[in-house]
Amino acid sequence: MKTYLAQRLAIAVLTLVGMSMVIFVLLRLAPGDIVDILFSSAGYVNESEKQAILKDLGMDRPYWVQYAEWIRQILTGDLGKSYRYDLPAWQIIKPLLPVTIELAALSIVVAVVLGVPTGVISAVRQDSTLDYVLRVISLGGLSMPAFWLAMVIILGCVTWFGWIPPLTYVSPFQNFKLHAIQFALPALAVGYRSSALIMRITRSSLLEVMREDYIRTAWAKGQSGRVVIWRHALKNAILPVVTVIGIEFAFLIGGLVVTETVFNLPGVARFLVQAILWRDYPIVQNLVMFIAIVVILSNLLVDMLYGVLDPRVRYGG
Amino acid sequence: MTPRRFVIVVSILVIGAALIVGGPAVSQTPKSGGTLNITQREDLPQGFAVHETGTISTSWPAMACLNNLVFFDPLKKVESAETIIGELAEKWSWQDNYRNLVFFLRKGVKWHDGQPFTSKDVKFTFDMLREAPDAQGKLRINPRKDWYANLQNVEAPDPQTVIFHLKKPQPSLLLMLASGYSPVYAAHVPPASYRTGCVGTGPFKLKEWRRGEFVEMVKNPDYFVKGRPYLDTLKYIIIAERGTRTAALQAGKVDVSFPGETTKTTAEQLKKAVPQLVVTPYSQNVNDNIIMNVKKPPFDNIKVRLAVSHAIDRRALVQAVQQGGAMIGAGMAPKPHGVWGLLEKDLQALPGYGKVADEKDKARKLLAEVAITPQKPLKVEMVTRAIAIYVDMASFVINELKQVGIDASLKQVETAQWHPMATRGDYQMGANLTGIGPDDPDANFYENYSCGSPRNYSHYCNEAIGKLIDQQSQELDPKKRMTMVWNIQKTLEAEAARPILDWKLDYFTVWPHVKNLIPHQSIYNFGRMQEVWIDK
Repeated sequence: MKTYLAQRLAIAVLTLVGMSMVIFVLLRLAPGDIVDILFSSAGYVNESEKQAILKDLGMDRPYWVQYAEWIRQILTGDLGKSYRYDLPAWQIIKPLLPVTIELAALSIVVAVVLGVPTGVISAVRQDSTLDYVLRVISLGGLSMPAFWLAMVIILGCVTWFGWIPPLTYVSPFQNFKLHAIQFALPALAVGYRSSALIMRITRSSLLEVMREDYIRTAWAKGQSGRVVIWRHALKNAILPVVTVIGIEFAFLIGGLVVTETVFNLPGVARFLVQAILWRDYPIVQNLVMFIAIVVILSNLLVDMLYGVLDPRVRYGG
Repeated sequence: MTPRRFVIVVSILVIGAALIVGGPAVSQTPKSGGTLNITQREDLPQGFAVHETGTISTSWPAMACLNNLVFFDPLKKVESAETIIGELAEKWSWQDNYRNLVFFLRKGVKWHDGQPFTSKDVKFTFDMLREAPDAQGKLRINPRKDWYANLQNVEAPDPQTVIFHLKKPQPSLLLMLASGYSPVYAAHVPPASYRTGCVGTGPFKLKEWRRGEFVEMVKNPDYFVKGRPYLDTLKYIIIAERGTRTAALQAGKVDVSFPGETTKTTAEQLKKAVPQLVVTPYSQNVNDNIIMNVKKPPFDNIKVRLAVSHAIDRRALVQAVQQGGAMIGAGMAPKPHGVWGLLEKDLQALPGYGKVADEKDKARKLLAEVAITPQKPLKVEMVTRAIAIYVDMASFVINELKQVGIDASLKQVETAQWHPMATRGDYQMGANLTGIGPDDPDANFYENYSCGSPRNYSHYCNEAIGKLIDQQSQELDPKKRMTMVWNIQKTLEAEAARPILDWKLDYFTVWPHVKNLIPHQSIYNFGRMQEVWIDK
């Protein structure tokens, strides 16, 4: 187990190094830079002034020097300075993280709470009216684009109740009720989509397991439906569901752009898009690295969970 | 009393009571206190560093924190020389036949950090803006240097007096100084500090700027205008998504829309949903225009440029693209919103403003003279920014050009590429938007049409026009100046220097409890907020 973990961590480090190179190069391949954007907001360009700003920001140095500097900063815990805001990048990024992590986690909770039971019911009542209804609902979740659903929720709230959720972040320590309301709607919007995926995976996986000999044996032994389904079938069907949950969580950390934008939540994804548009390299690079770390860690966690959920899964070493 | 007399007396009393109850807001006594929630469409691009940017996203929130020497009266709808009031300057005086402008500054004004405001601050600011060799401060980007090209020297003989020495008379300098783009910076803090904070003298002090979320300002208790501001707090809430912005306004989460953001259609929808919302259409002082690179073929040929101008049906553009939320006009904002716009009869005579069929025929004839026909069309590339309002306009124009034998393909470029490309002239033709600070010919003509100006994207250069621009700038008689400005506009359109397509209107929307927030004919100059109060 320890060897396996060490191997995975080594691969994770290599992946992060690769990611850092990719994001560094890709950002610089995009046309324009922060100085062009600054001049755009002023409506003109002056070459000598542009060169002076590039020098001031350290962007006149060779790319490899800039890359090495960035890696040095990461290793020393200093993430550099935002080009746009002229502030330490960490100071900008820090308040964004809890917002996105909380929203992603809540969305996953909603998705699991909705997706797993409905998937089980749908599998158990295969081809019944209830099954069809649940499948249509889940198909709806997959078919509706997140931006559309989020906007419909906002417009529905304003049209029917003349109300919309808070527009600025409300800390749970400041007002827990308002905080809960602020996160509940976006979590529902995102969770509904993810629940559809989880429901379908749960259903198909459970249907497959339910046809196994040991399930038939359990039925033949006269065990109750609840025991057969929840203790024998679901336990064995849950592995692909856990995989999907892990992937969804990792995806949500960087993929909440639309939801954060529509609900005006100051999270990582919304800020990342703004930073890309502004070519704010220190912010983009570090946020992408953060997302990469979350993806790697959630994959690792899922792999570890396999061993817990299924004793047959044992890692070499 | 006869029944008839009784009816008359009662009617008079009822009408009188109705007039008192439903009378104009002017008759109401302002109330102090409260928080005004204001929509902010994006985070502040350069913080509060107004002098380093040209976007309303910076100047709108910064205006509440800063002051000018002079400013356009926030309570007057139309900006002109007559509506200028003193701010940091208590009074001013033109001397030596408009060559020297003397400002007498207010006493006892303090910066938000407690330092006294003096003439040093004024000298520091304007020396920095005109890039004087001995300037104490330097801006990393200086977009309005051209505004102060005529400023020879700024003298501060004592702490309460400043003298602007001009190279030649320029009465309209005062209008540029009254723009939201001309605040005075503090000399005792670095200019760069305005990118992250705001040390001003204005009615509101910066309390917190939470990046990407909001800017909160609180009442400045030491503000030099006694009894102002009325409000306790201003909160500029950053809402990037347009649909959410509209929903927030409809739900009353914000009290005020963002200037220049509310289209006619949106305003109509809002009004339908919440009839009590107050919608005020006004000119943004922003125009849609076509830039054609006069340094490169085929637009170095005036006939081709004129053909383009003739081909575009401005009225159809206003209806189709702007849903009626714009006005046609030439180089200056049209009347009744603008002061300097051409009269309707003059407009009719300009290329592209006549009857549609006639204009298209004229375009075809001009193109035929340079051997371009629908069978042998001219192929060009039309560039524009990859933003909906640009692309919509460009697509309309491409369709119009096709009808006369110009086959234009659309190329969308990102914001980062747009201005470098336009300034360098790396394009053939483009669909462009131009925003102008104050509604004044100097601010517009020098920036957009004078030879060598970095914002003269079409690189049009006519020395005769340059002289006319100088002459109107120095003209002291307002009537004569108006005639000169009209002639310049006509010439610019006749030479298709930068054909103007329309002038956008904004449908500024506020809740009825917001009082004294009066939009002017330019989005850039009415954000001081010192007179605004809430009637709740």
